[in-house]
Amino acid sequence: MILFPEGVPTKHETFEEYCASGGYEALAKNLSPAAILEEVTSSGLRGRGGAGFPVGKKWSVAAESTESSRYVVCNAGEDEPGSFKDRVLIEHRPHLVLEGLALACRAVGAQRAYVYLNETYEYCLNRISTSIDEARAAGYLGRLQVSIHRAPTVYVAGEDSAALEVIEGKPPKPRQKPPFPATVGLFGKPTVTNNVETLANIPPIVRNGVSWFRSYGTPDSPGTMLFCLGAEMNRPGAFELPFGTSLRQLYEDFGGCLKDGAKLKAFLPGGPSCAFLPEDRLDVSLDPESLKRVGSTLGCGVMRFFPERACMVEETTRIANFFAKECCGQCPACRMETSMLSAMLERIQHGKGDPALFNQFEKIIDFNRGKGFCTLVNMPGPPILSAMRLFRGEFEHHLQHGTCNA
Amino acid sequence: MPCKYVLVCQNEDCKSRGSGELLEQLSQKLKSDADVEVKPYMCFGGCQAGPNIVLYPQKVWYSGVQQTDVEEIAQHAEGGPVVDRLTHGVEQPLKELIYQLLDAGLF
Repeated sequence: MILFPEGVPTKHETFEEYCASGGYEALAKNLSPAAILEEVTSSGLRGRGGAGFPVGKKWSVAAESTESSRYVVCNAGEDEPGSFKDRVLIEHRPHLVLEGLALACRAVGAQRAYVYLNETYEYCLNRISTSIDEARAAGYLGRLQVSIHRAPTVYVAGEDSAALEVIEGKPPKPRQKPPFPATVGLFGKPTVTNNVETLANIPPIVRNGVSWFRSYGTPDSPGTMLFCLGAEMNRPGAFELPFGTSLRQLYEDFGGCLKDGAKLKAFLPGGPSCAFLPEDRLDVSLDPESLKRVGSTLGCGVMRFFPERACMVEETTRIANFFAKECCGQCPACRMETSMLSAMLERIQHGKGDPALFNQFEKIIDFNRGKGFCTLVNMPGPPILSAMRLFRGEFEHHLQHGTCNA
Repeated sequence: MPCKYVLVCQNEDCKSRGSGELLEQLSQKLKSDADVEVKPYMCFGGCQAGPNIVLYPQKVWYSGVQQTDVEEIAQHAEGGPVVDRLTHGVEQPLKELIYQLLDAGLF
């Protein structure tokens, strides 16, 4: 595979091991910025942090800027519930991430880079800081300055513009866009922010070429992605699979199905902001286009599977409460929406509401759509509306009796 | 059981403009009236026009409320006239959305 030879993380690679397996060859090719940009653009690589923006396009905006001072930020502020792929990548292959960061800097003409790292990831902090020293001593970093900046563990702190605020020493609050960070970013300069996994794809692309990279995945979504399976599975962990693999294969062959032989009821294929899908959608392909066709999203690859006995009202309320808690509070619409949805679901869960509440969810969500600096305001909608559509009986039972019939 | 409610928004913006004091003063003024209950509300979404107070079931929305308006709002809650000058702060679609939620029992 592209990120892990065996498709799963196996060992904590050393600098010597990385170099022995072709590490830093991509950087040592000494390609021009334009050549790297061209490779990455034609590879079709898209961001792995959740939004799926074409990487070459983001880089071009910064590379074409008239500003001479530019930045690249490696976003490892991982806060998505259930996601641990960034941590796994930095723990196992810190030099792959660092080489990707150095190539990104060369491509966009940045002299300074930041690794924006979840502040609870102590071991990653040691790994990446040792790696920076090793790469510098070996002469791979040239004049590039790489600093580590610790990221607070609130959800919005992982949003790209909030990350820039934190690096500037301010509270983690998303900025109003446009301008986008690639035009006006860190300290007002063009800044490329890429997820850890995105950057880890760069050295293999530059070293092995576009057609090799495109031999994985689908024409629309080339490459692989790391999928995180949680503790409800027999084999939790991070699995690298080519886009287009069937979700059933991930669920059955890699994850080993739900624990205790539990029957699957539903799943969330892209973290808490995606729509629930019922068990009979398990044959969908793992790529953004296929997930979109069945009404959900792939997000950053966090998969959650729910057994037959799971209470979907409780699960949905938990998601709504999460967004209400994580709303940063600066946009009125988001504040209103997230607190309302959470209060309404609490009512239903505890049997204290009026049936008329059911019709209000969609109205609140439509009313507030897109009204905010970041996309958090759009996040509670898909899971809530899909859960109420798929499991209406459970919601009605809760509303009437305050208890679960699942 | 009270049959009328004075709902005072207690979210960030409204609070920073004094809705905490408004809640307290209205509660004081109306505490002897068993028909009226003064309650905090999580958010009406009219933050830019706050502090916001909604009377329900009358469905009258007061925005930009100051302490000097408390007396008149209390009178309205007890059956007096609507304080018209405070009713124009937010758009009708938002009012409709919130009134529907209140009709569905969300308060």
